[in-house]
Amino acid sequence: MSAPVLYVGIRALSEPAARWALLFDERLARLLWNTTALAAAVGVVAGALGVSLAWLVNRTDLPGRRTLRWLLALPFAIPPYVGAMAYVIVFGPRGWVSRAWGSTPIDMYSFAGVAFVLSVFTFPYIYLVVGSAFGRLSRSHEDAARSLGLGRWAILRRITIPMLRPAIGAGLVLVVLYVLSDFGAVALLRYSTFTTAIYYQMGGFDTGAAAILSTVLIGVTLLVLGAESLSRRRSRFYEGTGASGSSRRVELGWARWPAVAYVCTVFAVSALVPLAVLGYWAWQGVFLTGLDARFPEFALNTLQAAGIAATAAMVLAVPVVYLRSRHPSRPSWAIERLALSGYALPGVIVALGVIFFSLRLAPAIYGTMLMVATAYIIRFLPQALQSAAASLASVSPRIDEAARVAGLSPVAVMGRVISRLIMPGVLAGGALVFVSAAKELPATLLLRPAGFDTLSVRVWVEASEGAYHLAAPPALVMVLLSLVPLKLMLDRFKEPS
Amino acid sequence: MTAAIVLSNVVKSYDGGRQAAVDGLSLVVERGRIVTLLGPSGCGKTTTLRLIAGFERPDAGSVRLGPRTVADEGTWVPAESRGVGMVFQEHALFPHLSVARNVAFNLKGARARTKTAEMLDLVGLSDLADRMPHQLSGGQQQRVALARALAHDPVVVLLDEPFSSLDADLRAQMRTEVRRILKDAGATAVLVSHDQRDALAISDTIVVMRDGTIEQAGPPREIYQFPHTRFVAEFVGTSNVLSGTISGSGSSVETPVGTIPCMHTHGLLDHTEVLVSIRPDSFEIDETGALEGTVVSAVYAGTSTDVTMRVTDAAGAPVDLLVHAHPERELVIGQRIRARVLPDFVAVIEE
Repeated sequence: MSAPVLYVGIRALSEPAARWALLFDERLARLLWNTTALAAAVGVVAGALGVSLAWLVNRTDLPGRRTLRWLLALPFAIPPYVGAMAYVIVFGPRGWVSRAWGSTPIDMYSFAGVAFVLSVFTFPYIYLVVGSAFGRLSRSHEDAARSLGLGRWAILRRITIPMLRPAIGAGLVLVVLYVLSDFGAVALLRYSTFTTAIYYQMGGFDTGAAAILSTVLIGVTLLVLGAESLSRRRSRFYEGTGASGSSRRVELGWARWPAVAYVCTVFAVSALVPLAVLGYWAWQGVFLTGLDARFPEFALNTLQAAGIAATAAMVLAVPVVYLRSRHPSRPSWAIERLALSGYALPGVIVALGVIFFSLRLAPAIYGTMLMVATAYIIRFLPQALQSAAASLASVSPRIDEAARVAGLSPVAVMGRVISRLIMPGVLAGGALVFVSAAKELPATLLLRPAGFDTLSVRVWVEASEGAYHLAAPPALVMVLLSLVPLKLMLDRFKEPS
Repeated sequence: MTAAIVLSNVVKSYDGGRQAAVDGLSLVVERGRIVTLLGPSGCGKTTTLRLIAGFERPDAGSVRLGPRTVADEGTWVPAESRGVGMVFQEHALFPHLSVARNVAFNLKGARARTKTAEMLDLVGLSDLADRMPHQLSGGQQQRVALARALAHDPVVVLLDEPFSSLDADLRAQMRTEVRRILKDAGATAVLVSHDQRDALAISDTIVVMRDGTIEQAGPPREIYQFPHTRFVAEFVGTSNVLSGTISGSGSSVETPVGTIPCMHTHGLLDHTEVLVSIRPDSFEIDETGALEGTVVSAVYAGTSTDVTMRVTDAAGAPVDLLVHAHPERELVIGQRIRARVLPDFVAVIEE
């Protein structure tokens, strides 16, 4: 699984020191600054949005909170590069606002523009994780603080928020990892981070420089992952036991209407406006200028590549998850860790690794669609693993033992008993992989055989050229597909009471 | 003695108010006493505790803590301003704060330091001041929770099912320990429990509750020996309940199985129809006993042998009596035995 990535590192280390030094002088400092500043800005904005919205919806008497609860998760279904396109249409130099008023409140092709788009489409990670943590908080901690003389706001500041710190941290890590790996939105808005730099180096066939940049980006990613595992280790002790749920919601009083206005504004900006823009252009595209004649071919290509990846991920997930759960040992732990690392790997790096790897070891797949599928599997297998593992957690090991006693070999137990019991989780994982693969952009762009256009590739190409009537229909398909993982996420983070 | 808590005719009902959780309850808790609200789930004991704490507001009636009225028709003092201490079922230690900072929570300045040291010393955890809650055992967590509650010199400490999350061994040990700590601190305490052994071991006074009202209140010994009602007799321990009439100028009860000596007849006149509760401990197996019957079952329980003895009443119908025999006595099913009744654990009760 990780072999392609190791190749990237080896390749980078085998570059002469002079090249490293040259890159350091010319590009690295700038890229590091651009990337970390963006990650920090998006982390702060998305964090503030996610935490405040989760609190308003879960802990206050906000009017309409039941509906708003799931509406606020909707931006999760809009891929940031699609959102970026929508906001270029609205706020871009030749966009609606600019044409109507002659100026725009925000320059989309700037740091602020990129940070705005990424924040608006990644805050649901934090919103969902923190919202579910609110539900798991034991109410007795807040009651205890009250009996010790604290008022409502003091409890929020001194008890609730500190106890949510691990959840906020986990959500922030997801957002930051996303920003580090995003290519589409960043590139569409003509900003420069590690991923776009690597992409353009590869476009210029300078794979050595790409490998060096990738290695540095992997280092940054590992730092973030390290922070995540630290916070996860601490979070175990924060899980509430006993009566959960809140004893009472905070009464907002006069502040309720400003709060509703705030929540509705966030919803409008993160979901309503981009969906309306997409809908408008998709309408234009389908009914006025006519759908691209090759649209069915693009859809079929997407179906093929993502379908292969999803199937392979499901087949691989069962034994990996089973070994990890029933035979926890160092090798099985290492296998899962390695597979999980793909989660955090930007698509450009995976693509680079797959190129190196297939050139050396599997020349037969070089230049075929299978390269694309391989990259999808490496990147998205963790989603299938997590889903299958969650399902397996509810199957008692006694079931295995019963099957063994009945005369089945360990392999037969896995194949004939366990795999059937965890099928719903495996299928859900397959669906997640399929949707993620269908949305994937940089690896598809870099690895596809000539002429192999998927829906995501078309969105990118047409949006880059301003042909929004051609970009919007496939983009809308992406959004509709993304409703599947959104539904799965919402089920997982359901309100406990 | 002065009263630490006075509840007067408190009513509290939830959603819709069809059934009151607490229904006209009046209770006085004197300073320095340990009182247990005992009853099955749904009897209103937890609601009563939350009413005292200020987490719930009564629909009617008043709550007084010390000299101060904290809830009545026109008054409402919220939990954070009542100065009560509370120990929760799952302890509810703040997971992000060390033991010392949990105890010092919301104490200020020099007082925080001296009080924390004093409290940790009281509960015997001075060595563990810098630990985090997840590094403590269940018993240690409970001590910290108690220290945190006591650190504010509360008018009253409230304990919600304090022993239910502990293992059996630890539980017996913590009953003694919690009682010692509360007494050393001179604290007034109200506990909620559904376990009669917790209640009997720790309390100065037990308040048996049923359907939102008080069934009987008194010292543990009185509750166990002389229950007032069938509910108390059967909820606190086990009992044989027979119908009969008062006889012997109020010194015995005539029952279908014979005359039962009874000191606790509430001054009722002879020939009054009553129910009588006879604890299984009240029987003594003896060749000269007045009761004769057959052993139907005998279960060896270590500290006693729990015997079901079938006797025949005046009308010729069989009546099964539960008898605790001395564990040394070997009994065989079908064996004929005789027993006498000692008056120590016999009481006339209401239905």
